[in-house]
Amino acid sequence: MGKYLIQAHEANCTGCLRCELACSDFYTKAFNPSQSRIQVLMCGADCFISFTEACNQCGVCVDHCFYDALEKKEKEEEK
Amino acid sequence: MSSGGFAGTVLHIDLTRREARKEPLDPSLAEKFIGGLGLTVKLAYDKIKPGTEPLSPENPIVLGAGPLVGTNLPSTSRVYAVSKLPTSNTIGWCGAGGFTFGCLIKNAGYDHVVIEGKADRPVYLRVMDDEVSICDAASLWGLGVEETSEVLWKEFGRPTGVLCIGQAGEHLVPFSLAFIDRISTLGRGGFGAVMGSKNLKAMVVNGSGGVRVADRKRYKTLAQSFLENIRNYPYLKEWQELGVLKSLPMISRDTYRRIKKRRAACVSCPIGCKDVVQIPNGKFKGFVTCTSSAFNLYTGVLYGFKDFDESIKCIATLDEYGLDMFEFFGVMGFAKALVDHGFVSPDRLETEIALDSLHSMETWARMITYREGLGRLLADGFTGMVKEFGDESRKVAPALVKGMHPYTGPGSAIPWDLFGTMELGQVLDPRGPHVGSGGSPTYFDKRPLEAFPRHLIRMGVPEEAIAPILPGLTASAQEQDLRVGRLLKYSHRWFSILGSLGICARAAINRFYNAALCAEFYEAVTGIETDLPELGKRADRGWTLLRMANIREGLDRKAETLPEKWLGASGFKNYVTGEPLSVEESEQMIRDYFDEQGWDMNTGIPTRQRLEELDLTECL
Repeated sequence: MGKYLIQAHEANCTGCLRCELACSDFYTKAFNPSQSRIQVLMCGADCFISFTEACNQCGVCVDHCFYDALEKKEKEEEK
Repeated sequence: MSSGGFAGTVLHIDLTRREARKEPLDPSLAEKFIGGLGLTVKLAYDKIKPGTEPLSPENPIVLGAGPLVGTNLPSTSRVYAVSKLPTSNTIGWCGAGGFTFGCLIKNAGYDHVVIEGKADRPVYLRVMDDEVSICDAASLWGLGVEETSEVLWKEFGRPTGVLCIGQAGEHLVPFSLAFIDRISTLGRGGFGAVMGSKNLKAMVVNGSGGVRVADRKRYKTLAQSFLENIRNYPYLKEWQELGVLKSLPMISRDTYRRIKKRRAACVSCPIGCKDVVQIPNGKFKGFVTCTSSAFNLYTGVLYGFKDFDESIKCIATLDEYGLDMFEFFGVMGFAKALVDHGFVSPDRLETEIALDSLHSMETWARMITYREGLGRLLADGFTGMVKEFGDESRKVAPALVKGMHPYTGPGSAIPWDLFGTMELGQVLDPRGPHVGSGGSPTYFDKRPLEAFPRHLIRMGVPEEAIAPILPGLTASAQEQDLRVGRLLKYSHRWFSILGSLGICARAAINRFYNAALCAEFYEAVTGIETDLPELGKRADRGWTLLRMANIREGLDRKAETLPEKWLGASGFKNYVTGEPLSVEESEQMIRDYFDEQGWDMNTGIPTRQRLEELDLTECL
């Protein structure tokens, strides 16, 4: 597992999918939302962010978010 | 095919024969026209037979997503459509962002989709990677834009991309739009009616192929530095909070915050200028809608509504039918003037025309959409109304350009009266009035001319072209001038670059791009060697071919003059002096534009020499 726990702040999310693009590019060398380990679903005013089982909480998605919708927390911080 | 950016395939759909076939994208054409908008124009030029009726089965729809679409470069979501449009009867472009539609076309494996013919009954197009099907749309026909989108999302799940029309497009209203992912609009000029004429209710797309870049190392270096610039922009948070309202502050921040529910962004956009709003109290308490900009929701107020909540409700109704709101309010204003001036007897009105009444406007929107009563006539737009009531009726019509109601200018929605490139562009873009395109320093701001060169260089204007645009720049203020026509050539080039790559042209994001960087991004993504002069030349090639497509249609130079109501004391003002614009001045601007483009100064027809320079052999 990666060194972080990723916390989603769905109220801030705009559905831009920059996180999905970054994740898929990092792991598959192609921008491909269908292969992303983070999944964002915008449904009107609602937003749902989830992580697939393959996600290792590496935090690359957080680095590409411009809206403070994702936050890295050090694992120790959670203890 | 190049090693990155392009998906490499053009999808052809024949609705009449219910057939789909795939063809490899011609790499030499892709290189010659950049991709996206430019290549969409080229494919349309080759497909559209001169004299084709806009609402006939012979009129093709060509869709395209540029080589940067689907990457994570900021705001690379744009989809372009080119077709012959019914309102202006010209071949025009329509462009939109959207949540996922453009990105997923690329992921499904296509750069362009060409749709021809007419289905014998309502259908929608389903594109899921290799699997392409033409599906029965009987249960969708008659539904509004949001209803249709929701039904399709329920069927196929999110984030499926959805392009669809509402009931206005089904009834061939020439000022109907198509919507992408419910939130972005495709097509002032009647693109919705073009889809409706084909019995094409919608297109859904999803894909899993991914978009690759040719030079990953270079791409990463360029993108990282670029994204850092955006992240460090001191006004980023303000733009993210306000979007279009930052540059068009027509709604107070408190009023906006009252309804703001969520900001929404097209794929890859770090600004997020789209809105989901909710009315928190009053008679529409809890009403939720989404829009391409909160500013749009204010349009009803600009035309007479006293209550912003009623305006929000009205715009949501127009969106649901798929009606162009600017054209709708223009038509209704004209209809009221026809009654007031005795052209139409009040007895003919099923309900009064009151531009400040939600009930009245929603009733007329329904009657126009379904062509009921007098709505049958209003549904044919200004052209149909003038035809019915005669040339005399023009006197009480608002200013019209190519049969349409410009959204800016005297008598239009936005009370902006300085004449810059966007304003001249309404007249000189073949499609006619459209929401602002391209970046130019004259865009909704009175800037000192000393600030222009920096903007021009960013847009890719060659150094030697700056002095003719800004004569006397180093002289005293009284001797300074701005040649709007010459500047417009480069504004169109910049728009053509952005559109062909797939980058959003909105001011909020295009401020971060510059033309030289665009050439670098194009090289890194596609692997196609391209310097700035070459990128500019390719952009001009696409734009000139669009011109030639319309020259071939018999584009009338007389249609490219400013409406009388834009001139004189109550019209537009000179951008520099603030003096009323004269006929002579406007005609000089048009000649300047043609000359700068290398088109005949008097006729506006591209010269043989220019066509040869651009290697547009198909036009010779």
